[in-house]
Amino acid sequence: MSESAAPVADQVLDCTGLACPLPVVKTAQAIKNLASGQLLELIATDAGVEPDMRAWSGRTGNELVGITKQGDVFHVLIRSK
Amino acid sequence: MWAEDSETKVLYVQTHGVQDPGRCATPFFLAAAAAAMEFEVMIYFTMYGPSLLRKDVVDKIGPKGDQGQPLRYFIEQASGLGVRLLVCQPSLDLNDLVLEDLIEGVEMIGGAAFNDLAVSADAVISF
Repeated sequence: MSESAAPVADQVLDCTGLACPLPVVKTAQAIKNLASGQLLELIATDAGVEPDMRAWSGRTGNELVGITKQGDVFHVLIRSK
Repeated sequence: MWAEDSETKVLYVQTHGVQDPGRCATPFFLAAAAAAMEFEVMIYFTMYGPSLLRKDVVDKIGPKGDQGQPLRYFIEQASGLGVRLLVCQPSLDLNDLVLEDLIEGVEMIGGAAFNDLAVSADAVISF
């Protein structure tokens, strides 16, 4: 049995195929429904999602735990403030 | 007109109208993203800009013509996040419009209020 290195998200938000600004807008809406400290995983294919989510988290104070890329798909893990 | 407790304030200015559909949606995209970043956001429609807010236009045009979403979708995305939409009387006159011709929720301001918003904003972005 192998253990996953990545923490398990409390909610997964699939924005595959959605273009700017929808991943940001939907993340902002989703994070409001999470309690402080809970984890949101955003899955997105918008090519600008990494700089966008860094800017968004920096401005809103929600913590960007990590971004990984598998092929063209970004997985962004955010901890609710 | 800005809320006293808002940390970051962004004012967009849209001068293009229905004659230029390719320029109609981007201010709403950017305003929606700014609102998602917890900024306070307003869009001021002047020159030909108010024509984008006509009730009888928002379902008929979009940035890519018949492809993709109509303008209403982008307007509602922004206003749903709290973005405020502003017009002024001379620009309505220029486009032969009255406030009742526009979609719900558009606010009327004047030149003094616009300038006050501009000098107290953290950024003013004009299209």
